[in-house]
This record gives sequence, structure tokens and C-alpha cells, in this order.
Amino acid sequence: MKLHCFQRAFFHSSPSLIPVQLPAPMETHLWYMKPSEVKSESLLKEYLDILSPCERKNVLQMGGEELRKSALLARALVRTTIARYQINSEITPRSLKFRKNIHGKPEVEWQYSDDWHPPSLHFNISHTSSLVACGVTVNSQIGIDVEEKHRSIKHNVLSFARRYFSEHEVQFLAAISDPQVQRMEFIKLWTLKEAYVKALGKGFSGAPFKTFTIRSKSVPEEGFNKLEGSSLKASEIVVDSFDNPTVLTSNWQFLLLELANSHYAAICTEKHGASEGDRNVPVKLTVWKTIPFLEDECVSGTDAVKTICGL
Amino acid sequence: MASVSSATCLSFRTSIGLPVRIHNQKISKGLVVVSLGWTKTRNFPSSRTSRLQICAAKAETVEKVSEIVRKQLALSPETQLTPQTKFSELGADSLDTVEIVMGLEEEFNINVEEENSENITTIQEAADLIEKLVEKKN
Repeated sequence: MKLHCFQRAFFHSSPSLIPVQLPAPMETHLWYMKPSEVKSESLLKEYLDILSPCERKNVLQMGGEELRKSALLARALVRTTIARYQINSEITPRSLKFRKNIHGKPEVEWQYSDDWHPPSLHFNISHTSSLVACGVTVNSQIGIDVEEKHRSIKHNVLSFARRYFSEHEVQFLAAISDPQVQRMEFIKLWTLKEAYVKALGKGFSGAPFKTFTIRSKSVPEEGFNKLEGSSLKASEIVVDSFDNPTVLTSNWQFLLLELANSHYAAICTEKHGASEGDRNVPVKLTVWKTIPFLEDECVSGTDAVKTICGL
Repeated sequence: MASVSSATCLSFRTSIGLPVRIHNQKISKGLVVVSLGWTKTRNFPSSRTSRLQICAAKAETVEKVSEIVRKQLALSPETQLTPQTKFSELGADSLDTVEIVMGLEEEFNINVEEENSENITTIQEAADLIEKLVEKKN
């Protein structure tokens, strides 16, 4: 693979990133890292080096080495990922600036001049101590959430659901007799709801979990599982919003994946030009496992990415 | 009515923003006996009445919150917790935070609205909100 060194090398040559084309409309890119696989101190130092002073401070304030590491990798991942798209020759991982929208959702603050307009690139990150992920789209809002498959829930699943989820979702979970299966369906549902709220960009209180239901469209009892021999439509995930029934919840589409055999990942993106009657256009998803500056591996179609629903 | 279980010195502001100190008061439960010393300040608007508001949550509440946080995040006993510790710094993600809030609701028999749960980012903030909600209930 050809390596590009796209930072102007006057003081020192910076480590290089393999460039990638921006996702097409209706295409989603997902990049992820496993902190346990990043062991090199010098590499971690390089990551620390590309952060802004503010980000560095936040990373170092985390309590404990493991937490510091995943916080560092989350920032390094988002900076290196966006820089890969080579939006223009000025952009490097270090030069990127970020800000928060009025609801607190992070976005890129493009430094642009009169004769250059940035692309409508959207991103969202999610991290656990064992996996850090960044989703990228063009022209679509995106929200992602990752959780460990075997994550423990301290409370009783149904008590939790009754407190935070919608009635329909409580009924769905209550109908599952096996506690292990129930817990896993709960986690899948949680990631989907989180991804939706993050895509909306209004924060947890902007779209309280009780005010919308996420469900599997055609075969609700089957929950969020890969149905053998199912068509695309059968495993479609949809959201119903109670607060705003007219607000186009048909504008959102969901993907639920199992990543690296260890995590559930939910991706929620905006659909454009869609209406209820339209044939569902499948979303194209490309997934990379990465250690920025070191190696990238496109893992789409491998065992590392198992689609559960939505593709 | 505020009650303070032990205090050697409390500082706070009156509703018109005057700094006030209470010194070494032995306080019995339910009764606050204070002698007020106005700290030196310019622009003393004596014509206004002032209402005292004690803003710090009880040490007991802070302790209970810390315990719930420790349990939820499975922290090692060596992990230091201060009232200013942010949940995020302890590695709490959104699911942890929601579980913490749920634990607090159960412990204190209160209901935290979604708008408020976003404002709970530290142990102190949780304790302050709890006391506010408990007071509103009673």
C-alpha cells in the first residue's frame, strides 16, 4: 500500500496515515481501536503529541492508567481519522479544531477561507475501556455507541427498563425468559437508543429515553437478532417518537453489529429523501480496525464485523 | 431549615451576595444557632434584608453518594474520591451514570428528572441535587 506523508516536512517528518476517500452519501465509515493492542510507549507519546493542550489536560486528569489510555486513544482516533480524508493539504491530526454545538455535541471547527468550503463531514465517537470507535459520514448526522457484550448491569434489567425505557420496550424485554438473553437484548437496545440520541445531538435530556421506542420492524418478538434467511426488510430497526410523532422518525436508520466478538455497536444515521413507502436502500458500511500511524486493516466482511440487524 | 452535623467554619453568600462566616458553632439537630460575623466588605447595603442560604450538602449525603459510586464503578478501595471528582474521570460512561442516578433514587427515595441527570457530573453535584429534591419532598 502506498504511504503518503502529507504533512509538510520542514521541522520533522510526522508519522504518516494512509489516506482514505470520504464516504459517499449513504455510506458510513467506522474506525475502531483496541487499547489492549497499543503497547508502545513511543506510539502513545505520538498520540499525546497531536492532542490540543485542553485535550491533553483532560486525558491526564483521568483516574488511572487504563482510563487515561482509552481517553487518549479516543482523541487520537478522532483526530487521525478525520485527517485521513485529506480534506485539504493544510489539515493534519494536530491542526484540527473542535467545538461543541449548542447542545454540546462535538463537531469539527473548520478553518476556512473565502475560496474553500469544507465538506459536510460528520463524526461521532464512543468508547469503553476495551474498545474505541469513530463513525464518519458525509451529509448525514451520525451517532454511535459501543458496549461490551458481557457488561454487567448492577440493577435488575426490568427495573432499569421500567425506569428509563418506553412501555413497548419494557414489554419486549419482559417477554424474554432467559436472563442471559434478556441482559444481552437490553444492552443491544441501550446501544441503539444511545446511538439515536447521539445522532440527534441534543444530549441525554434532549431526547429522554422514555419518549421513544426502538424496535425491530417486522418480527418484533425476535428482537434484535439475525434472522436466518431473512430479507433486508425483516430485520429493519425503527424508532417511534412519542413527543414528536410527525417528526420524521423515518429519517433515521440503524445498524447493529457485533464488533471484534466482544462488543455490540449501534450506528444511527440520517436517511435523506426517504419516505415511508420507499424501498429501503441498504446502507453501505466499511469498517477498519486501526492503530493510527502503525497499521490499518479493513475488516468489513470478516469475522470481526458481524451484522446483527439493519444491513 | 438547614442543619449541619459538624462544622468548624462555613462560608456562604447571602442572597444579596454578602460573604458571611459562621464560626465554631456546636449545632444540635434541627436547630441552627448562628452568630454571624460579616466579613469586611465595601458597599454594605444595609437597607436590604438578607436571607441565608446554606449551599453545601451534608457530609453524610456526600458519603452515601460516594459509596454508591464506588459500588457502581467497582472502584478499588485505594481509589481516592473527593466531592469534586468527576464521574467521567472515574471511567463512568452514560450507562454507568444512569445506573448511579438510579442507585441514588433508590437510596434517597427521590425522582431525578432527565434534565437534571445531565447536570450530575460530580459527587458534590449529585449530593446537592439530592438534598434539594429531598427538601422539596418534605
